[in-house]
Amino acid sequence: MLLFSLIFVPFVGSLVAALLPADARNREAWLAGGVTVYGLVVAASLYPEIAAGEILRHDLPWLPAQGLDFVLRVDGLAWVFTMLVLAIGFLVVLYARYYMSPSDPVPRFFSFLLAFMGSMLGVVLSGNLVQLVVFWELTSLTSFLLIAYWHHRADARRGARMAFTVTATGGLCLMAGVLVLGHIVGSYDLDVVLAAGDRIRAHDLYLVALVLIALGALTKSAQFPFHFWLPHAMAAPTPVSSYLHSATMVKAGVFLLVRLWPALSGTPEWSWIIGGAGVCTLLIGAFAAIFQHDLKGLLAYSTISHLGLITVLIGIGTPLAMVAAIFHILNHATFKASLFMAAGIIDHETGTRDMRVLRGLRHKLPITATLAIVAGAAMAGVPLLNGFLSKEMFFSEALLVGSDRNWWMSAAAVAMGIFSVAYSLRFIAIFFGPPATDLPRVPHEPPRWMRFPVELLVLACLVVGVVPAISIGPILDVAVHATLGASTPQYDLAPWHGFNLPLLMSVIALVGGVLFYVVLRNRFDLHARTRTPLIYRFNGAQAYETVMLRLTSGAEWLLRWLGTSRLQPQLLIMIIAMLGVPLLLAGVPTQWTTIPRQGTDPLFALVWVIGCVCAVAGAWMAKYHRLAALSLIGGTGIITAITFLWLSAPDLALTQLMVETVTTVLILLGLRWLPPRIEAKELETPSGVWLHRSRDMAVAVAGGLAMAALTYAVLIHPASDTISDFFLLRALSEGGGSNVVNVLLVDFRSFDTLGEVTVLSIVALTVYALLRRFRPAPESTGVPAQQGHSLDPASHQTPAEQANSGYLMVAGIYLRLLLPFLGVIAVYFFMRGHNLPGGGFVAGLIFAVAILVQYMLAGAVWVENHLRVRPHRWLAFGLVLACTTGLGAWLFEYPFLTTHTAHVTLPLLGDLHLPSAFVFDLGVFAAVVGTTMLILVALAHQSVRAHRLPSEEAPQDSRRPS
Amino acid sequence: MSFAASLPWWAALPAATFLVLGGLITLIGAIGLLRLKDFYQRIHGPAITITLGAGCILIASMIYFTTQQSRPVIHELLISAFVLMSAPVVAMLIMRSAVYRDLRAGRASAITGGSNSQVPGNDKQP
Repeated sequence: MLLFSLIFVPFVGSLVAALLPADARNREAWLAGGVTVYGLVVAASLYPEIAAGEILRHDLPWLPAQGLDFVLRVDGLAWVFTMLVLAIGFLVVLYARYYMSPSDPVPRFFSFLLAFMGSMLGVVLSGNLVQLVVFWELTSLTSFLLIAYWHHRADARRGARMAFTVTATGGLCLMAGVLVLGHIVGSYDLDVVLAAGDRIRAHDLYLVALVLIALGALTKSAQFPFHFWLPHAMAAPTPVSSYLHSATMVKAGVFLLVRLWPALSGTPEWSWIIGGAGVCTLLIGAFAAIFQHDLKGLLAYSTISHLGLITVLIGIGTPLAMVAAIFHILNHATFKASLFMAAGIIDHETGTRDMRVLRGLRHKLPITATLAIVAGAAMAGVPLLNGFLSKEMFFSEALLVGSDRNWWMSAAAVAMGIFSVAYSLRFIAIFFGPPATDLPRVPHEPPRWMRFPVELLVLACLVVGVVPAISIGPILDVAVHATLGASTPQYDLAPWHGFNLPLLMSVIALVGGVLFYVVLRNRFDLHARTRTPLIYRFNGAQAYETVMLRLTSGAEWLLRWLGTSRLQPQLLIMIIAMLGVPLLLAGVPTQWTTIPRQGTDPLFALVWVIGCVCAVAGAWMAKYHRLAALSLIGGTGIITAITFLWLSAPDLALTQLMVETVTTVLILLGLRWLPPRIEAKELETPSGVWLHRSRDMAVAVAGGLAMAALTYAVLIHPASDTISDFFLLRALSEGGGSNVVNVLLVDFRSFDTLGEVTVLSIVALTVYALLRRFRPAPESTGVPAQQGHSLDPASHQTPAEQANSGYLMVAGIYLRLLLPFLGVIAVYFFMRGHNLPGGGFVAGLIFAVAILVQYMLAGAVWVENHLRVRPHRWLAFGLVLACTTGLGAWLFEYPFLTTHTAHVTLPLLGDLHLPSAFVFDLGVFAAVVGTTMLILVALAHQSVRAHRLPSEEAPQDSRRPS
Repeated sequence: MSFAASLPWWAALPAATFLVLGGLITLIGAIGLLRLKDFYQRIHGPAITITLGAGCILIASMIYFTTQQSRPVIHELLISAFVLMSAPVVAMLIMRSAVYRDLRAGRASAITGGSNSQVPGNDKQP
């Protein structure tokens, strides 16, 4: 549970931070700080067990049926990363407290930051690969949100989008890779996967898994050719750059490679893919960093280069290289986080990050300058600082690559060393020279506690650089042992190893770097260059934008060629497909069994003839006489209801009747807003039109016949083993109701019903959203042609007046009298639903009809003045009620939506049978009422809105005759 | 309909009478709807069907089910009440629209010549 809280607490903290007021900068910082300190204490308390080489595991069932567990697994590597994430996180929180301006929406910042911390810890502590991918994507998401924190800035939005697209695509590849890996091993459990290294490497799918996982890791760690997103991510606030984009999130990629090193490494493919990407990144990043003018841009490219260095080490893959890789991950996090914070301070104090403007800052910011220079020296690999140690290890590993004859790797390493010294000098140069006078702000030292994180990190750089064996030694040892296991090499952490080749390379790099920088500065006018020489053509960001543009235009092209906004072709293709595809798939049915005709009832046949005539006539009238068509279709609906009744399905009949009523009325209300259709009798119809009309006719008839044939085929086939017997037998004994249909809906298959009710609500909200901004066609906004005559009462009376005192008075009195009756009937049908035909659905429809009638009678304005209809609340209440009833079962440790039946004896009502399904049914009732009312309100308000415009002229010309 | 055969004669007789009467009235109403030449005359057909015809059938139903279940069954009273209330209201609305249609077409003579009850002039003053 303690382990679980490590991940859980940051997410809770994130939620709490989001709910705090916007001006509570201190409270949020305290909260975030408290969360990180808690995490640090918990993680630190695990150290004795971790140091003893134990692997702590905590399993929670997640999807037990799929063999997936939520596994937390802490070994040395995970522990070191946890400490890294939490420690840097704490310093960043402290720093951000002073960095963020009071006008920024701080709750959002800390909320996202804590969510990121939780996700990152999730990645680190996952003992299950699928779970790791989930947290992996969560880090991408939170990184996206944090980069776009200042979302009013276009570069922030663009950078966030780019970072998210690249890393999330990589995450998808990783997901696929993990699935392949799981397929090879047969388990997603990390312990099992790590133990199955030989089996994985021998498998045919090894290369596929490797490439996919490498894609995930390389995109996340900004490796060539995906490195371009990181410089653009610098639009984020500096604490974010310092935390996510240098110390932790970009390390997730290399962390994954280290994590899976036992399972995947040791093949030429591994070395070529990982090492190759690493070398390219290393050189490109370091080279490009020299030519940046933005402080954070320089640091971003330097981060890319250092990540490349780590990747190369992992690609080399020897045990000593792994030691160097883990060591450099820690070192880089320390000095780069402090450098970013220093850059943030400089930005904060001077108002600019342009290195062409910044000069002589050591006069105004002496302490910050000292700190930044020390950290910069660590980045350059100056002896007695931590960067030197791991770089030395890198050089010695590079020497081993390609044995004695091939020196390319060593050359690349030295070149990278030279470049990194050069860009470090470029960075440091802002502190020297005459003080700048044209800065946007006059700089002075930042607050004490804003500088504190930088001081602490720089101190760590120094301590580790001078006495590595006693400061970082034990921690590194823990991580290395956890990764390498038995093959842990003998290594020696010391600043001095005597005169050897790596030392010579370091000296060459330092001297060469200084010379290179001086030459660049004096001969090539470094400050005037606007782009990186040689490699500016390989612009990843441009390639990304081009790909995105191509994708968009490709999608548009596809849409233009395959899509249509016209309904008719879509329907035509759909019907033809429905006719053709089943035949193609199943072939022509071989034989038709004929069932003996038994006792055809002439009356029933007559009812059906009427229904068929109504349907055909409805289709006939649909084009020019919509009202008639609607009435005829309503007739067909009533015949259907009668059929259900005839065939002993009273529940269905009742529902059908109510649904028919409600839909007819709602469509009737909608008809008003359709533009009038002018009958073109005189126009001569061209033969082409006849042709395609006949085609449509043929398709329509064929579709209808096919449906009829399908129904017939279903009917004549003997029913196979259905579960209806089960329901019939168990409804009363286990569901506690004799109406099987209702028990089925609210008890046996209540999850289904819950889904349906949710869909209904969504449909209602969609209708509402569509109609909210809808304005009727101009020709149908005025008073309808039928009411336009001056003799019509509607021309000089509002709907309410007509109903209250006008010609609708009799009908008005009657319908208002009917309202309570309809209410009582709704309650009656609802109450008896469990045992007799009825239930929440029907009751809801009846209740909705009661209100619907009032709207039709007196108009929306009058009804809403007298009756407060709040369909949204009905919807929400219904859904919440249904859900909580279902969740209530959990309190008694039963599955979701289990029904409990209580028998209550009340003084007046006698013995009452009260199942909890009853409450669920009440939720269904409320949701149905809400749905119907919401659609009704959306339609009814059209008239309120539509008359607002023409109201000026409409009453004028209609008042004249009266 | 097995019970119908065993219905005692004192119940069967009135029930059958009312059923036949109701059927006849409904038939007459239907013929009227078909044969009468004017809308204002034709509207009487359905009205008679709904009130008298349905009433007779409902009484028959009451007698039948009361005897069958050996207890007074009076649901039908509720049905009659609602039918008796809604039918005239609906008929009135239909006639009003007919009047309006005629007025618009300028066939005022048809109104004064036929029934003179429904002239929209009296409710034009709010």
